[in-house]
Amino acid sequence: MIIRVFRWRPEAPAARFDEFPVEAGEGTTVLDALVGIRETRAPDLAFRYACRVGMCGSCAMVVDGRERWTCRTRLRPLARQGATVTIRPLYHFPLVRDLVVDLQPFVERMKAAGAAFVPGGEPPEATLPERPAIDAAIECIGCGACVSACTMVRWDPRFPGPAALNRAFTLLADGRDAGATGRWTTVFGEDGVFRCHGQAQCTAVCPMELSPADSILRLRRKATRSLFLRT
Amino acid sequence: MTRDVADQPAPVLHRDWRSRDAWRGTRLGLWAWLLQRAAAVALVLAIVLHLRNPFLRPIQAIVLGLVLLHGLLGLRAILLDFGLPVRLHQALFIAALLLGVALYALAWWWRWY
Ligand code: SF4
Ligand code: FES
Repeated sequence: MIIRVFRWRPEAPAARFDEFPVEAGEGTTVLDALVGIRETRAPDLAFRYACRVGMCGSCAMVVDGRERWTCRTRLRPLARQGATVTIRPLYHFPLVRDLVVDLQPFVERMKAAGAAFVPGGEPPEATLPERPAIDAAIECIGCGACVSACTMVRWDPRFPGPAALNRAFTLLADGRDAGATGRWTTVFGEDGVFRCHGQAQCTAVCPMELSPADSILRLRRKATRSLFLRT
Repeated sequence: MTRDVADQPAPVLHRDWRSRDAWRGTRLGLWAWLLQRAAAVALVLAIVLHLRNPFLRPIQAIVLGLVLLHGLLGLRAILLDFGLPVRLHQALFIAALLLGVALYALAWWWRWY
């Protein structure tokens, strides 16, 4: 099968795709193939990974049009649909080199949504009704796949995006957090949670199987309730 | 001479919707959204035509189809807003389409005038 790899270097303005024929074994992952290509054929090919076992999220790329962790994606099942597998860097992030992107905007969107813990509140009730939903949502490891998959992120640069809103949701429901006031303003402001189109692309791609779309809808319900009730 | 690359803003890749690759990983949620919006725009035009000549059967057929499509997809969005889990969104989309076809057939077959 053929692997088509996106190539871009800051010194050379034009992007291109390089094609490499690879032999994929039963368990060969996309990341294995990239490592192989770099070892034997393209020593200057840049990509990022750390754990190789689906824990760190740093190997996220767009493989055949879909955001995936390359260390957890096997090549064989992909190539059955076509002999060529296309690998690009995540969308919506500035390119650094080849498949590597700068995740700084991810951090900025987190900050914009006030998605950092502010200590000082009261410990939460043990029976917080939202607790099961939060238990899942706190597992986000910030890989950026959902941000790349979100269409709204492109059209509204001030939209915090799925990961940041997911984090804001966990914090707004956390009694120990004292940052709710500022967060409330940004999250429910004009460029906040109501800009989401509900396409659930984020939920479809999240390799941790979280559902940022559910978190966003929960935030919306919270905002709507607050119009009528003092919660 | 080397250009000082640090001064240049790095390019950002977005999906190029004209390319096949961009649509490859597209999930049903995007289609549900697109269809509902497209139906809304088409509905505005169809209603204008319909008001000019309410008895034209082809335009009636189009309005009925668009109303069902737009309305049922709207119902889907409302159900999700009210707390149906997002994991059901694809099933709801398909259900809305099937229900739309069924209601369309029923309404068209059962002409009351
Ligand atoms: S929500 Fe999922 S896809 Fe998004 S950054 Fe967190 S782990 Fe990655
Ligand atoms: S390298 Fe850590 S998740 Fe893939």
